[in-house]
Amino acid sequence: MNNWVEITMKLNGKTVSCRVKPSSLLIDLLRDEFKLKGAKPGCLEGECGACAVIIDGNAINSCMYLAINAEGKEVTTIEGLGSDDNLLDAVQEKMLSHGAVQCGFCSTGVAMSIKAYSEKMKALGIKPTREEIKKTLEGHLCRCTGYIKIIDAAEAVFEEGSEM
Amino acid sequence: MTKEFKHIGKATQKFDGKERVSGKAVYGHDLELPGMLYAAILRTRYPCAEILSINTSKAKALEGVECVLTAEDADVHNISYKRDHPILKKGRVNCIRDEIVAVAARSKEIAEEAIRLIEVEYRVKKGVYDPFEALLDTAPIINEFGKGLESFDNKNIAEAFHYEHGDLEAEKARSKVIVKKRYELPRVTHACMATSNITADYSPLTGRLTLWASTQVPFLYLRDMAHALKMAPSNIRVVQPVIGGGFGSKLDMLPFEPICALLAIKTAKPVQLLYSREEEFLASPTRQPMVIDLTTGADEQGKFTFRAVEIIMDNGAYTSWGATTPFVMMQTFSSLYQVPACRFDARAVYTNNPFAGSFRGYGNPQATFALESNIDLMAEALGMDKAEIRLLNANYPGEITGQGLHYNTCGAIPALKAVVEKGRYHAIAHAPKEGRYKRGIGLASMLHVGGGAKIYRSDGCGTTLKLDDYGYLTIITGSNEIGQGSETVLAMIAMEELGIEQDKIKIINTDTDVKPWDVGVHASRTSFVAGNSLLGAISLLKEKLNKKAAELLHIEGPDFVYENGMIRVDAHEIKIDKVVRDIHFMPPHQLCEVSFFYEPSSEFQDKQFKGDVSGSYAFASQAIEVEVDTLTGAVRVLEVHVSQDVGRVLNPLGLQGQIEGGVATGIGYALTEEMIYEDGLLKNPSFHGYKLLTANDMPKVHFYPIETNDGAGPYGAKGASEAPLIPTSAAIANAVANAIGVRFYSLPLTAEKVLFALVQKSVGTPRRCATLSEHAQIEKQKGHGF
Amino acid sequence: MDFEVVTPHTQSELLGAIAANQGKNFRIGAGYTDLINQFKLRPERDLTVINIAQIREDTFRNISKNDRCIELGALVTASDLLGNDTVRKEFPVLCEAASSVASMQIRNTATIGGNICNASPSADMSGALVALQARCRILNVKGERREEPLVSFIRGPRQTSLEKHEILERIIIPQNTSAVIKSGFEKIGARKSMEISIVFLAYHFQLSESGIIEKAGIACGAVAPVIPFADRACAYIVGKRLNELKDDEKEAFAQKVMEYAAPISDIRASAWYRNEVLYNISKALFE
Repeated sequence: MNNWVEITMKLNGKTVSCRVKPSSLLIDLLRDEFKLKGAKPGCLEGECGACAVIIDGNAINSCMYLAINAEGKEVTTIEGLGSDDNLLDAVQEKMLSHGAVQCGFCSTGVAMSIKAYSEKMKALGIKPTREEIKKTLEGHLCRCTGYIKIIDAAEAVFEEGSEM
Repeated sequence: MTKEFKHIGKATQKFDGKERVSGKAVYGHDLELPGMLYAAILRTRYPCAEILSINTSKAKALEGVECVLTAEDADVHNISYKRDHPILKKGRVNCIRDEIVAVAARSKEIAEEAIRLIEVEYRVKKGVYDPFEALLDTAPIINEFGKGLESFDNKNIAEAFHYEHGDLEAEKARSKVIVKKRYELPRVTHACMATSNITADYSPLTGRLTLWASTQVPFLYLRDMAHALKMAPSNIRVVQPVIGGGFGSKLDMLPFEPICALLAIKTAKPVQLLYSREEEFLASPTRQPMVIDLTTGADEQGKFTFRAVEIIMDNGAYTSWGATTPFVMMQTFSSLYQVPACRFDARAVYTNNPFAGSFRGYGNPQATFALESNIDLMAEALGMDKAEIRLLNANYPGEITGQGLHYNTCGAIPALKAVVEKGRYHAIAHAPKEGRYKRGIGLASMLHVGGGAKIYRSDGCGTTLKLDDYGYLTIITGSNEIGQGSETVLAMIAMEELGIEQDKIKIINTDTDVKPWDVGVHASRTSFVAGNSLLGAISLLKEKLNKKAAELLHIEGPDFVYENGMIRVDAHEIKIDKVVRDIHFMPPHQLCEVSFFYEPSSEFQDKQFKGDVSGSYAFASQAIEVEVDTLTGAVRVLEVHVSQDVGRVLNPLGLQGQIEGGVATGIGYALTEEMIYEDGLLKNPSFHGYKLLTANDMPKVHFYPIETNDGAGPYGAKGASEAPLIPTSAAIANAVANAIGVRFYSLPLTAEKVLFALVQKSVGTPRRCATLSEHAQIEKQKGHGF
Repeated sequence: MDFEVVTPHTQSELLGAIAANQGKNFRIGAGYTDLINQFKLRPERDLTVINIAQIREDTFRNISKNDRCIELGALVTASDLLGNDTVRKEFPVLCEAASSVASMQIRNTATIGGNICNASPSADMSGALVALQARCRILNVKGERREEPLVSFIRGPRQTSLEKHEILERIIIPQNTSAVIKSGFEKIGARKSMEISIVFLAYHFQLSESGIIEKAGIACGAVAPVIPFADRACAYIVGKRLNELKDDEKEAFAQKVMEYAAPISDIRASAWYRNEVLYNISKALFE
């Protein structure tokens, strides 16, 4: 049998350790072990983006990521967004106010990508164009919305951000 | 004068949105029950074969396997409305999705390993993958349970429809132009973001079966499940988890569902079955592929004279609700625009392809593609403007169509005019087409039911309301939320009528043991039917409240206003919860609970399919501008102008979302989506091979709602959510024809198909290394769209 | 999906791991964006993955630059390339190719080394690097290095010249010798995103001040078992003035590109379409 590996990561702000099967995927670790069900198994082949989480500031598909490679990393899932004061992150608020959520199965992954991208752009002091925003959302399939409201929501996140 | 609304017509955030955007919503994939087992299904390796033997001994011996189920172990009835579909197959398999063995095990991995250990011996047979071939006398019987010979004079016909009105021959004789074309429509699929799933639990102590099932029609599902399992329907409880996309895919109960229920019954443990994405492509429903032979005529002035339609649908190996899409298609042919005569024949033919189901639009995108293409061709033959011919023939308020549809309100003409004007139709259509990128614009309209559709004995919906001692309202509705926003609309109606704020409203709609009956989410009916049902319940509730409020305020029979948690008339007001408590704790000692069942006034159609089948009808037009890259054949949609008669806009935010989402699906149907089957095998069962549009592909969508304020709907609203994808592919094909002068009779308009047509058209241009014959060979292999 | 994993953190651990597994069936894993799907589709028994994702050393990670060349560590991701000023300004072909890779989430993990070693004829970043006449630096278990042009490093579909005891360390791109460039990546797919190229054309021209093409690099993808460098097309175009090409010269150039195309028909497109489009976009390159 395989030798399970102990890993330590910062998960939604808390340092956690666990033993994982070397070939196991991050999505399974999050959903099955940590019971963080917000990363959705839409395709498990890197195509739909429903399972996106943020690792060290970058949105990645957790279905295409070996759990052991989370070692030493900062992992944020949808459950880690928001704070005690604001239960929903501004990204989530904008998604709701712009009608970007219908069935919702893609929404959590979408929120993670917008979050990672907006943090990165804000740090660089860049306000992206609508075309650039669309480009960052290309890896999130959605069958409900036709994407327009998702793009609108992401754009609105940067409208807020332009104040800084 | 229209009443001023506080909530209706105002952009309102999704009532159940916070749970979904935060990851808190529990979808079927997220459910975990104590002691739960995981199921997996072994499907056939060949689309058409005899099963010689099934050896499950190794699977049964695997540690952790708790149940292995074959047809031999299952005492069940066939499913589907034709009862032609065994849930587990024995003796023979008929299409590539066929279920042979199911396993329940203590982990997903063990279940999958057990499936790999099962040995099945097949004798492979030559399948029939072309419905025209299946119609030949020489074809084998494809579905042994089919009743084609008795009912339709051909062993492989699963279902057939015939409809007619008017004097076809006379109309034909007076036609100035007659256009006859064959249209071929591909097989596409819903591609819901959540794959199919079910969790089943059974108690041998009570004999009760609980199913967490992603169905759109829980009460019909419960009845179908009971029949399949030979159980009493009332012993089955259906609980809908949060549903990750429906679009019609969850109308039919599929074999995996009773299979999972059986595993739960056999093991007396909860069992969960989740589809992989590949399985979702292979074994969830699709839209009907079909061939439409359409002949249409118009007189000298351009008035339509007749339509003659013959449709062959690929039914696949078993019958689903998809076989009944001619119900909707015949409406489009008989009643979209004014038509003096129509003859319509549709046959669903068994093949060894997978079976199709229902899909947003229910046959109407196919019918509309054919019809709106033919209208363009007739306009061209007559030398008429394409907007003018449509306006000349457009439906109008008060019209009763040949099929008996009553258009009490009709926004067809304003919708057409809106897109022609806002889309700058004439300017773009007549602009010179030069250079590499050629632009064009196309028009198409559609007709769809807007007030439910009476295809079942009842098209109704029940509502129970509970107003508690603290002024919180619980709406227990028969209707379902599948992401489309029905909860939001219902909450808005309650806020409007009762003056209760949103955070004091709760909606219960997922449990058949609790909620009143409803036929389900389909036919764009939920806002209309569930909205009317809620309004009915609210008026009962108000009767109670008004009576007590009048008593408490010492006023005689006034017209109360419900606002901000108060019941008010002039300067007199009282808190709504105070009134509730007084009804409860003082005479008459009653609870503020009411129930109401709404049944639309629509008619069940007669045997000739005539009758006013819906409570109201929706009309829409689209003008779509495209750009064709003549070097690559790529079609890019630039602008989509949608105008739709929605009766009244209830929630502009939600409505716009339905429009944009529908248009996106329509563009995919037009340009990129196709399930590529070769000899019964699916060649692209992944999101990589099956091309959904991405955020980067979406054009601008402009929406111009037409409010006709139909008396039948809640606040005048009509059903709206199927319509936006129905005319899209037709408008795009018409736009491409305008751009490059080449017309396409099949979908999707892939870049390769377009480039090939451009090359064929421009004979004389020097060509090089390429061989057209090779391309033609490939196209031939693909067959005619099946 | 079941395999053993060895996770080296340094170059020496990596070389040790490769040496120790010579007798076994192993694969190198970096970004996993393709590998995991391969494992799922074609499960291998007794597989060991040498997981290089956690190696931090610069030689595998950084993007460096000197007078003669710019070097990319094999673990540089597509996103790293997009975020690099030199790549953006001086090698647009590579930037556009990196940008056309799948999605942001995939670009955040997919590595340049993986894209190359996967040896797919439709690999976008590899195509750009072939056009840029990049070289591969390869390290063996003894710590010895060799260099090979990328165009010959890729031997066929899923085949490279990499020996079992070797690993790709760095990719070396010659510096531009002119400040005037015309460089880009034309990708043909069924939709604008999430596509494996049906055809691509990667081009990188360096021009004189007066607009004469001094150096040219052309590569085309998904039209042959490998990604060919169209050297005869390059030779034909060098010395000509970019903006003053006549129609017959554009056609002759496109014909030269076509000499490298021998596409197959598959589910994404027919050979006919690939030929037709490659010709058309080659000819249109100067319009």
